[in-house]
Amino acid sequence: MAEFECRLKKYRQMKDLTQEQLAEKVGVRRETIMRLEKAQYNPSLKLAIDISRAVEAPIEEIFVFK
Amino acid sequence: MKTNKKKIWIGCGILCVLSVLLSSWYAVAYNDSRLVVPMDFKDYVFDIKDLPMIVSLSLICVYLVALFVMLFIHAGKKQRQEVETGVTRKINPKLGCLGVLGFLGFAGFWTYPVDGTVFPFAFFLFFGFFGFYYEGKTSGTFMDERFRENIARAKLKAYRITFGVMLAALIILCQGKLFGNLEYTLIAAIIILSLALGLGIFLSEYLLFRYDHDDQAEEGGE
Repeated sequence: MAEFECRLKKYRQMKDLTQEQLAEKVGVRRETIMRLEKAQYNPSLKLAIDISRAVEAPIEEIFVFK
Repeated sequence: MKTNKKKIWIGCGILCVLSVLLSSWYAVAYNDSRLVVPMDFKDYVFDIKDLPMIVSLSLICVYLVALFVMLFIHAGKKQRQEVETGVTRKINPKLGCLGVLGFLGFAGFWTYPVDGTVFPFAFFLFFGFFGFYYEGKTSGTFMDERFRENIARAKLKAYRITFGVMLAALIILCQGKLFGNLEYTLIAAIIILSLALGLGIFLSEYLLFRYDHDDQAEEGGE
């Protein structure tokens, strides 16, 4: 199985967003953002795209499958 | 529901109960307790004095039917609202106390030897109401995609456990050798099915709470 790595924290901090703000922007709970940053949750395509738009970074840079 | 509407419904209920009490008193005092004490309806002949009792009983039946229909519509509205807002329904965790009703199931051990009634055993199902406690704890939560996944995960696990328990119990009971008596076997089946269904109701809420709560417990804030 491919190893999942999430670089969301880096991109979020680059945009000066808190987890709460990002969660609100993409319409999820803060806990979901936390899980994502720990690479413990595999997001849906829609959520991945929403996050990518929110932090203005390419989706393949944020979510990496090795 | 608006407070005014609630008051009207409660008022109608009180009126219906009062009318039954009054007509019962009238039947006992002036109508030889007809329609109050158990009677054989094969030989029943209508008497004008029966009218108060018939009217009050009809009233309470209409009220109960209307109440059920209203509750059904209200539940449907709430469910639609839940889908639209994406927030779990609001429930008081104290409603979990209704699970105590499950102990009514033990009444079956009393009614069965007395008159062979077995339906009270089905009350064990009410143990599932303990799940309201956990539903109350997660009530008003915004249902994002991970929460919805957790709901599906919890339900799936609860159903698997429930059906596993039911299947195992039925296989054992269907051997017919456990009690050596078909009636006892069927009673055991009723008890186990009721308990298993109660477990299913409880587990789906409990597991959802655990999945959501465990996630929150191990996470730090920022």
